Amino acid sequence: MDTLVEKLRATLGPGQVVSEPEELLVYECDGLTHYRHRPRAVVFPTSTEEAAEVLRLLARERVPLVPRGAGTGLSGGALAVGGGVCIELARMRRVLKVDVENRLAVVEAGVVNAHVSRAVARHGLYYVPDPSSHGSCTVGGNVGENAGGIHCLKYGTTTDHVVGARVVLPEGRVVDLGGAGAESPGYDLLGLFVGSEGTFGVVTEVTVRLTPVPPSVRTLLADFLRLDDASRAVSAIIAEGLTPAGLEMVDGATIRAVEASVFAAGMPTDAEAALLVELDGLEAGMDEEVERVRSICTRHGARSVKLAADEQERKRLWAARKGAFGAMGRITPDILIQDAVVPRSRLPEVLAATYRIGARYGLRVANVFHAGDGNLHPLVCFDSRDAAQVERVHEAGREIMETCVRAGGTITGEHGVGLDKSDYLPLVFSEEDMRAMLKVRAAFDPAGLCNPGKIIPVLKGCGEARAVAEVKSAARGTVEENGSNGKPAQLKVEVNAASSNVLTGTARGPLDPASALAGVVGREHVGAVTTGGDTSALVAEPATFEEVCEVLRLAEGERWTVTPAGACAWLDAGEAQEPSNVILKTTRMARLVEHEPADLVATAEAGMTLADFNRAVGRAGQWLPLDPPGADVATLGGVLAAGTVGAQGFGYGAPRSHVLGMRVALAGGRLIKAGGRVVKNVAGYDLCKLFTGSHGTLGVILEVTFRLRPRPRREATLVARTRDPRALFEAARALAGSQLLPVAVEILSPPLAEELGVIDDNDFVMLARFAGTEGAVDYQLARAAELVEGVLKERATERVEEDEALWARLSSTQSRGDVPLEWRASVLPSALGALLARLGNYGRALTWHAGAGDGRLRVFDDARDVEQALTNLREMRRAARSLVVERAPDELKRELGAWGLSESNTLLMKRVKEQLDPLHTFAQRFDFKF
Amino acid sequence: MPERPTQLTGALAAEASRLLACVHCGLCLEACPTYVQTGDENDGPRGRIYLMRAVGEGRLALASETFTRHIDRCLGCRACEGACPAGVEYGHLLEAARADVAAGGRKAGWTSRALRFALRHVWSHPARLRAAFALARLLRDSRLPNLLLSTKLSRLLPARVELSLALLEGSRASNGEGAREETAATSVEAEVALLFEGCVTEGLFARVNRATARVLEANGCGVKSPGGQVCCGALHAHAGDLEGARKLARRNVEAFETEGRAPVVTNAGGCGAMLVSYAHLLAGEEEYAARARDFSSRVRDVSQQLEATGVRSAGPGAGEVKATYDASCHLLHGQKAQAEPLRVLGRVAGLELVPLEGADVCCGGAGVYNLLETEMSSRVLAEKLKHVGETGAGVLATGNPGCHMQLAAGARLAGMKLRVVHPVELLDESYRRAGLYRKR
Repeated sequence: MDTLVEKLRATLGPGQVVSEPEELLVYECDGLTHYRHRPRAVVFPTSTEEAAEVLRLLARERVPLVPRGAGTGLSGGALAVGGGVCIELARMRRVLKVDVENRLAVVEAGVVNAHVSRAVARHGLYYVPDPSSHGSCTVGGNVGENAGGIHCLKYGTTTDHVVGARVVLPEGRVVDLGGAGAESPGYDLLGLFVGSEGTFGVVTEVTVRLTPVPPSVRTLLADFLRLDDASRAVSAIIAEGLTPAGLEMVDGATIRAVEASVFAAGMPTDAEAALLVELDGLEAGMDEEVERVRSICTRHGARSVKLAADEQERKRLWAARKGAFGAMGRITPDILIQDAVVPRSRLPEVLAATYRIGARYGLRVANVFHAGDGNLHPLVCFDSRDAAQVERVHEAGREIMETCVRAGGTITGEHGVGLDKSDYLPLVFSEEDMRAMLKVRAAFDPAGLCNPGKIIPVLKGCGEARAVAEVKSAARGTVEENGSNGKPAQLKVEVNAASSNVLTGTARGPLDPASALAGVVGREHVGAVTTGGDTSALVAEPATFEEVCEVLRLAEGERWTVTPAGACAWLDAGEAQEPSNVILKTTRMARLVEHEPADLVATAEAGMTLADFNRAVGRAGQWLPLDPPGADVATLGGVLAAGTVGAQGFGYGAPRSHVLGMRVALAGGRLIKAGGRVVKNVAGYDLCKLFTGSHGTLGVILEVTFRLRPRPRREATLVARTRDPRALFEAARALAGSQLLPVAVEILSPPLAEELGVIDDNDFVMLARFAGTEGAVDYQLARAAELVEGVLKERATERVEEDEALWARLSSTQSRGDVPLEWRASVLPSALGALLARLGNYGRALTWHAGAGDGRLRVFDDARDVEQALTNLREMRRAARSLVVERAPDELKRELGAWGLSESNTLLMKRVKEQLDPLHTFAQRFDFKF
Repeated sequence: MPERPTQLTGALAAEASRLLACVHCGLCLEACPTYVQTGDENDGPRGRIYLMRAVGEGRLALASETFTRHIDRCLGCRACEGACPAGVEYGHLLEAARADVAAGGRKAGWTSRALRFALRHVWSHPARLRAAFALARLLRDSRLPNLLLSTKLSRLLPARVELSLALLEGSRASNGEGAREETAATSVEAEVALLFEGCVTEGLFARVNRATARVLEANGCGVKSPGGQVCCGALHAHAGDLEGARKLARRNVEAFETEGRAPVVTNAGGCGAMLVSYAHLLAGEEEYAARARDFSSRVRDVSQQLEATGVRSAGPGAGEVKATYDASCHLLHGQKAQAEPLRVLGRVAGLELVPLEGADVCCGGAGVYNLLETEMSSRVLAEKLKHVGETGAGVLATGNPGCHMQLAAGARLAGMKLRVVHPVELLDESYRRAGLYRKR
């Protein structure tokens, strides 16, 4: 017998290993049957520890592996290419913990998606992502693919609903990525992992965010005699600023197949298209939205618009939609299913093209898809027993894909690249882009054992293995150089920049850095700045991406260190460090590149300020709802590099969730693209997540594409005040946990409340902001006031209608002391009260604000007594899930560490850094102990 | 879709288009009790269909251990059919696969050989079958099994023998009463239904047949029981003996033909589903195809028939009785009777009906599966009993004798106090309390 199989049996027990070649047959494919790769064995771990033992064994034996859930994926991702071992998680199906108060659940990776919602239904909660296979597919598989589903138009995809993951790395090490608080400091390794299609490791446990079941749901079915009309109606719904929970289209062929199945739902079989529109939220204002949708559909030629009469009818309609793919089995033996995403405004023409292409190849095409996201699923019918048809279907598939990419789209929105679409990846990414992805992959899987052969095609003249090897040798080179020369030499610039700069100890001998930089960006765009003590740095302000790259090439050659910057508000973020040689300011690159209001998408250069950007897109009634610290001066690049969540992140999400794509300059001046320009995209790794929050240590963000939101019709704030911080906290928690939908519930200490001009006595204050339609805001203000006054037992609330300036002042609050000390902490929301109590008398004398909905605390102090501050912070860090010191005297940072990273996260971050910036061109803001 | 030549042989070959309807989407996985237990895709519907295809493509030997093991391990509950968007008729595929395996000359274990012997030489002969059930009743009513189970002496026997005793004991009326000879006092008889008695039901549950007749009569429907009817052939078909099943099917079609278009009423989900599938089973026979279609179209469960006549409710209740309902898989997926049995129970005076989680999941009985695949069956049963326990109900209603015995045996062996009944038994009892019956 295979000795590996014997060892696996010895590790797990014989009942947990399948190795008979005949029993392995069913594991040769997943939901896509035209690729077949039989694994060498399938193992069924029942715990993280068992999985880790198996991975350690496989690493020792140098055998590749592929994780697998229910095998419902549609990209051939769960196939063991090259005879690896399949790690099957179907026996890890326990819901480990449900935390109702913090709206979290911890589940094993093999738990079926729909079972999560079932397990928490009695608490009025659910798990939002609902791919069509949600009755069978596993949460682990969803994490691997960053699964979407019907409701991601409003609520986002898996990556927006997963807050933590326990992962076994290919070497067998167990790491916890993310965390349950509002923030986990360091690189967003979790965001990177979600959607990595099993190439970074095996996820065994997932902490998911739960969402309150909306109090009111309406589902409309509109049917059309012309497909074109239906797709125009979709664009119109989005363009008019409505955000349905789901907006799906089913074409005539699909309607007829579904209506013949067990999932028949009464869709008119003579229609050429039907739209399913679901609206959810508060009852207040709901009828108004329903009428708007109805009138848009009617205006665009809908024959009828029907409202689902009851929950049963609604469920039947969705079951029909979800059963559509399988139902096609009635009319065809095989299906090629595509998963392209196009800008929503281009839907009509692209949709028409899919049918044209099908007709040209003599193949039947049906479409059933997430229209609201522009996520097309052309189903091309064929018979795999007919070789000529198989060839034609692949050609047609490619042509459809190219059409979508030409329209500004991407090759996969939710199914993943896997084996199926890796050939298409070069349609959307350059070799350089893919090389960067391979490097990140090598950080997680240096030996290349984890799901090899997937996602990234063999690169020209440089196979995948070679790319990994190349990366490895580059990293080794660094170590050797460091060993012989010590740290890269620091550039010393005299305080008086006008005098001649003296350069010491560079690799290539004397070179005047100021002149060199001036040669690239022009003399008037080179300056000097004192960064503390007697050292100073040169400031270069390039105007183009090419100039940025040139500066970075120069820096690499000269071994300069570079700090990317926007408004220069966070030059001292992170660990106490030697100042960089060059500060690379992006502020001259501040153009709005593109804004397509109908798509709710805009692209801008990173040096544009958040305020300017919002002014520009605001003209179309849209905005980027971010309010991070320093929002008044921050550039877009700076907001993302810091990645910090503001008060309204509770309602609108963190900066990471608004980014669709980026262009980034890597060390050595290599320009790459990450993500794209469409609202759903799982092509390649989500490097946008990696750069967001990386504080400029991995690259310079040059250009960003954002998902925008329609500006709410009305915003207003409820202000509550009291002397009793405990009661106020209780009221705030009640509000955040209610069925109302505040975008922020922030508690302010008395000094801060006074500074913002809210009050002038010694009260604690709560600000709760509501946004939406007239009716919805009105209703919520009234209900919230009732609720809060009920808890406080006094009439202590008032409304602020013109609240814009108030929130702007809050986000631009700064430390006033001579020796500024600013820090932020993150805890589970339920633990925020206890954390506040530790501030001593609830920090009555301190300046702070805290998010009751997401467990965020931000404190502005002045560190007159560094020793005392150190003791306090140590204690707070023990109590909080995370505590980040933003601004502090170097001595304090050195003592305490700015980030408080876990050991395993540090290890992975270090590996990522070594891959992307092996020569340490970019400043070290994290302490990796190199 | 055009038929295409395949390499499939035998019974599976005839089902080629059904096999191809599966697009491998996997929505069936969680509906499958054996997949939920093992997490092994070979034990799920999609995997089993894949194995069938592999046999057809010549990639897997029909007689291979893998094929027979995983086909054997299927409960045949057909829950996957309710989850399948492509409408794959898995039940037919399974029967075909089992027929091919049986014909393929596989070396079977002694239990399945004994089963096949019994099916051929006892079940297909009404007189012998009646004698066999008479013997079984004699054993049951001697209270010997009860004694062995109560004193736990049965633990000394092989597990399968103990289970057999518990199953037999499970068929005994929980109140110890036999079949009552009563009739409904008020009958209108606007319609006449033909009762399909079923061999196990008439053999061990005659009281349910009598209750069925009374309840129908009490709701204005006359009942006749045509002579010449035989076993429905479900056990044969599930065991791969399609020819044996066809023989029985022809006789039943003939027996019920003499009575015109009257509905054929059963109270056993397993039989009912089989009778419904006669149309498919005899589709290839010129002489019988049309007649079988007509027959199948007339078949309905007693709860479906009551839906047609309307069900009266008659008090008083027997005090507060908490009951729950477990769906027979074939009643649910074969006969599509989902809400009807619940509505029947809803008309029982004084009954508090509580929902059972996983009521639509198989109990592990599955004909004689519990005796052939005892280990898997007991895992599935344990899950079921856990959910039953959670309801706090003292009465469990189910509409098929196999499920009835399985659940009663499981409860008995687990030391649970649980009365298992057919839904019409509860309705029947409420009518008796209300004085609707008189002695015949």
